[in-house]
Amino acid sequence: MKIVVAVKQVPEREAVLRVTPDGRSIDESDVAWTMNEPDAYALEEALQLKQRAAEAGLGEAEVVVLSAGPERVQSTLREALAKGADRALHVVTPESGEGSLAERGSLDVARLLAEAVKGEQPELVLTGLQSDDLGAGQTGVVMAELLGLPHATLVLQVEFAGQGGVGRRIKVRRELEDGWTQFVEVPLPALLTIQSGGNRLRYATLMGIKRARQKEMRELSAATPTQRVDEVVKVSPPLRLKQTEMLTGAAEEIAAKLVERLRFEVKVL
Amino acid sequence: MTAAGMLVGIVGLRLNLRLAEPASLGLGARVLLAALMLGSAGLFAWRGAPIARAIWGSKKDTDLRLRPLGRRGWRFFWEVLCQAKVIRQRRLPGLAHALVYWGFLAFALVTINDLAEGFGCDLLARAGAFGAFYVAFAGAWALLVAFAIAGLFARRFLARPKWLGEVSLESGVIALLIFALMATYLAMLVVPQRSPAAACLWWAHTLVLLAFLPIIPGTKHLHLLLSPLTVFLKRPEFSQLSKLEGDEEFGLVTGKDLTRIIALQAYSCVECGRCTEHCPAAATGKVLNPKEVVLGVKAYLNSYGPGSDAPLLQDEPEGRQKALSMPAAFACTTCGSCEYQCPVGVQHLPVLIGLRRGAVNTGAWEDRYGTKLFLSLERQGNSLGMGAAERDKFIAKQRFPLFDGSQEYCLWLGCMGSYDPKGREIVADFARVMQALGTSFGVLKKESCAGDPARRLGNDLLFGELAEQGLKSFAQAGVKKIVTVCPHCLRTIASDWREYGVAPEIEHHSEFMARHAALLERLMVGEQGGSVVYHDPCYLGRYREVYEPPRAVVAMAGELVEAERHRERSFCCGAGGGLAFLGEEAGDRVSHGRTRELMETGAKTIGTACPFCNSMFRDALGEVGGAAPPQLLDIAQLVARRLPAQALDSGELKG
Ligand SMILES: Cc1cc2nc3c(=O)[nH]c(=O)nc-3n(C[C@H](O)[C@H](O)[C@H](O)COP(=O)(O)OP(=O)(O)OC[C@H]3O[C@@H](n4cnc5c(N)ncnc54)[C@H](O)[C@@H]3O)c2cc1C
Ligand code: SF4
Ligand code: SF4
Repeated sequence: MKIVVAVKQVPEREAVLRVTPDGRSIDESDVAWTMNEPDAYALEEALQLKQRAAEAGLGEAEVVVLSAGPERVQSTLREALAKGADRALHVVTPESGEGSLAERGSLDVARLLAEAVKGEQPELVLTGLQSDDLGAGQTGVVMAELLGLPHATLVLQVEFAGQGGVGRRIKVRRELEDGWTQFVEVPLPALLTIQSGGNRLRYATLMGIKRARQKEMRELSAATPTQRVDEVVKVSPPLRLKQTEMLTGAAEEIAAKLVERLRFEVKVL
Repeated sequence: MTAAGMLVGIVGLRLNLRLAEPASLGLGARVLLAALMLGSAGLFAWRGAPIARAIWGSKKDTDLRLRPLGRRGWRFFWEVLCQAKVIRQRRLPGLAHALVYWGFLAFALVTINDLAEGFGCDLLARAGAFGAFYVAFAGAWALLVAFAIAGLFARRFLARPKWLGEVSLESGVIALLIFALMATYLAMLVVPQRSPAAACLWWAHTLVLLAFLPIIPGTKHLHLLLSPLTVFLKRPEFSQLSKLEGDEEFGLVTGKDLTRIIALQAYSCVECGRCTEHCPAAATGKVLNPKEVVLGVKAYLNSYGPGSDAPLLQDEPEGRQKALSMPAAFACTTCGSCEYQCPVGVQHLPVLIGLRRGAVNTGAWEDRYGTKLFLSLERQGNSLGMGAAERDKFIAKQRFPLFDGSQEYCLWLGCMGSYDPKGREIVADFARVMQALGTSFGVLKKESCAGDPARRLGNDLLFGELAEQGLKSFAQAGVKKIVTVCPHCLRTIASDWREYGVAPEIEHHSEFMARHAALLERLMVGEQGGSVVYHDPCYLGRYREVYEPPRAVVAMAGELVEAERHRERSFCCGAGGGLAFLGEEAGDRVSHGRTRELMETGAKTIGTACPFCNSMFRDALGEVGGAAPPQLLDIAQLVARRLPAQALDSGELKG
């Protein structure tokens, strides 16, 4: 069994983000990068499936991690290898300008990734539900379409289903609104987009990092040309809208003002 | 040794300085003696060889440096020859032990003489006045040793302190042999020369001697031979961890990872139980027992030999080294009491943390809280899992200036000082003290955890990343001097970071305030604040030997009282070794016991010098503090309260 996990490198949560002078993207020069959080859960699910496959006598599963981007994404791929992935595919895109990630929309990126996945013929493709930076939530499902695979979204857990044909079908738990979950059986091969929080992540270890050095990291060139259908018009930091107003005066005056605001502005009384 | 001198005098006079010689031995007897001597030595070698092999066959300690020899020499003199540690930690039995030890040294010459006599050569008789003196001198020691060993025998078999463990036959036999050696020697001083009695005594003495030798290896009395070497070869620093080299070193995973020093120390253990007696984990019913951990390493080496592939941590609770288990290794607060107490130089922390390193660096340790801590450190860069923006808000609110190279000190906040409400109060109060003194300081714009919890829990990957990051931020900011309120950050930055580079000079706020005591006292207003019991944090006391400066600070603000266990013997608060982050303890809380002990002094205030201790006591006081719990304040807060308000003008936020 082979599982491909698509992992995206995104700015760290604490990174200080600056908009480029043209106002259409983020200045990457000073940004610290990390693995997209739902992708970390997708990887964890893949690693646990590998272990469960071995325990269920389904043979040795292979976990391949895949990322598209400039050279910097290799640090995230290394991290995935250190946590236990078996090998890595890096679809190399230019740092900036024509063909770079900034110039590609979700559809374009999905094309790049789908191209790389085709060469692997995996039984399962896992992606994160959405990325922490752009949050379009599109890449996974578009990839499924391009690969002609069935897919399930917002997946928390995956298990092997069926008795005789163990491994040919999987059962997934999907998150619905308001704490509800849904179980769906999906035939393999399939693509799942994984929601954060379904598992406990593992910590990176020294042994993992050392072993990762010997694992294969294959570079693929980004064959498909950029075909953007949408256009980023403007990127801006969130505006601070919350305003604090101090009501002053004697206690009765303050109370009167407060009631007035609550009644006519906030409209809760 | 004036008392011994007098004894020598009296005994010398009464006994006319003569040791009864046996009548000269015939050829047959001499052959028999030689055969017995050979047999004894052979048996000794046969029993000792596997131990020598286990030690020598273990991994070489790559980081062992003998220099500076002076310090090692001094320790040898003080701890071995003077028996200082043995006596200090257990006065009466310690003194009795020291007497036996010194008596043994005095008897070295007597023993050589005894065997030489067998071959017709009484060396002491030929040595004239010196010989006569020595016979009496040794006689005095024989008396002292006989008394001491009888006392120790009574303690072990009648008083039976629980730390000594089960009553051992071996100890009884050894005590009897020693007593017999002394008694026969003393008797030889009173029986007539060349009498049958003298011959009997000589044979008895010699046979006991020859029986004693082969008993030594394979029993805890091996410490007689090994511990002088162990004390001399001890790693120079407290809780010193070796660097992991190459691609196959992850800590203590199998016998291949045990080093010669670890093996030597394990075989030197005399099973006195002092380590366990002072262990907070053992005292509160955790599975950890440091003495059994040391004996577990010995049991492992005995069963598998050196360089074995068998895992050190065993799952089955009845395994050969059952004390070496993952729950035991992770119950240690790394307080260092055991290492400090051990009279024969066993260093427990490199073993306990080594086992943790082996488990964490290979991913074998799975713990919900531990994983959460590591992920927080990986992702947020702090142990409390907070966003860095929270720290930014705190330093803006306090109007702490950012370090820009123009200030004298970089004030290091640490995770507690950055994110914990009480830790922040402590930092803020200490900043006010610095401002009152007119000392310029700034804080780093960004700070990651110094790596203490990662280091103590054995996560070398994370610790290395944090140390490198920290070194880089200090270098980039051009920091020359650091001051911190946290002893854990202090130790980690000053000692543990050395594996990755040289950090700027760092000191604890207690040292800083004690140095400025004169000026602070002039600035202080109002009345002294009543009695304060000071709690020595493990990482400031035993780890850094900083005992007096915090006391000087406390004395400025109030009347200093001492808890029953203080200074080197201070008892842990329970937070160290990353345990503050590992959720609820099994069994009693370490912090509750210590809090009760501090409260028993009746002091109005508990004075702390570590934000982790402070947080542990804060929680414990809620549970065991009763209706009127004492106040709980850091030493910086004790000082800040007595500074006039106008001395506390706030600094300006730059950048
Ligand atoms: C990335 C992501 C983040 C989310 N974050 C949040 C969150 O923060 N808080 C929260 O509460 N929820 C969240 N959700 C849940 C989300 O708000 C709802 O689940 C979602 O809006 C439901 O629509 P859907 O995308 O599943 O679309 P679908 O159910 O597929 O519907 C899409 C559209 O198709 C059309 N359509 C579908 N069925 C019919 C029909 N029978 N007849 C006519 N038209 C139809 C409608 O135009 C409909 O709007 C998130 C979901 C995703 C994917
Ligand atoms: S360091 Fe402290 S807690 Fe750990 S074994 Fe030693 S005495 Fe016990
Ligand atoms: S390790 Fe040291 S303190 Fe502990 S029992 Fe052995 S000799 Fe005593």
